[in-house]
Amino acid sequence: MARMKFLCDSERCISCNGCVTACKNENEVPWGINRRRVVTLSDGVPGEKSISVACMHCSDAPCMAVCPVDCFYHTDEGVVLHDKDMCIGCGYCFYACPFGAPQYPQMGTFGVRGKMDKCTFCAGGPEPDHSEEEFKKYGGNRLADGKLPLCAEMCSTKALLAGDGDIVAEIFRGRALNRGKGADLWGWGTAYGKEGVKPKSDKAKEGTS
Amino acid sequence: MASNPIDLKRRKFLFSAGAGGAGAVAAVAGGRVLLQPEAAVPAAKIPIADRGYQATEHVRNYYRTARV
Repeated sequence: MARMKFLCDSERCISCNGCVTACKNENEVPWGINRRRVVTLSDGVPGEKSISVACMHCSDAPCMAVCPVDCFYHTDEGVVLHDKDMCIGCGYCFYACPFGAPQYPQMGTFGVRGKMDKCTFCAGGPEPDHSEEEFKKYGGNRLADGKLPLCAEMCSTKALLAGDGDIVAEIFRGRALNRGKGADLWGWGTAYGKEGVKPKSDKAKEGTS
Repeated sequence: MASNPIDLKRRKFLFSAGAGGAGAVAAVAGGRVLLQPEAAVPAAKIPIADRGYQATEHVRNYYRTARV
């Protein structure tokens, strides 16, 4: 059985926030909630990296472990979903999650914390697939349509990968083998002025000529 | 007053035509009745409830583009 996983290739992410926009549009996420967001590490410093972060659909999910009403569950494909009808909005999952994935509506009166909302891997929720309630509570269900999360499908540089974990890992491994890492990366010398570092393809050409 | 007997032989054609027409109508109606369930089969699609990940052509195409 395939296990659904996200993987963000930090060497490719250009911090365009296309994934964030795609998620918001596909799932009609309300104001104040970001199921996905782009985080930039060492912002403004040469070598800064951006990654797109959302629920990572952990195999041993801490949110699931701490939930007092046990509203989380794993689908057959390893997607972590929750039942909003059971959620009491206590916020334990927010504290437990290392990725800050659980989100809470903050538009209510007196700042009342509503039902938790998070990335569903575009797999809807416990309601019947494509039902009105499902869309209202959890957003779209692209997995049932034979598609993958829109954030990954819309990614212009294919930095954000989603799908079967084995295939995603194999794609990323192929990229890493092809481009190397750190100063071996194609374009590194142009961007950061490290002379003498050339892409592998150029080295190969020099070797043959 | 002489009675004018009706010669029904001349109307046999009409009777047979009427019976045939009724039969044709019945056959057509029957055909419709038979056809209706067949026509209803495609309308009643397989329920798509609780379908998860599927390696569809769309998904395979995504994987292919991600390898670039």
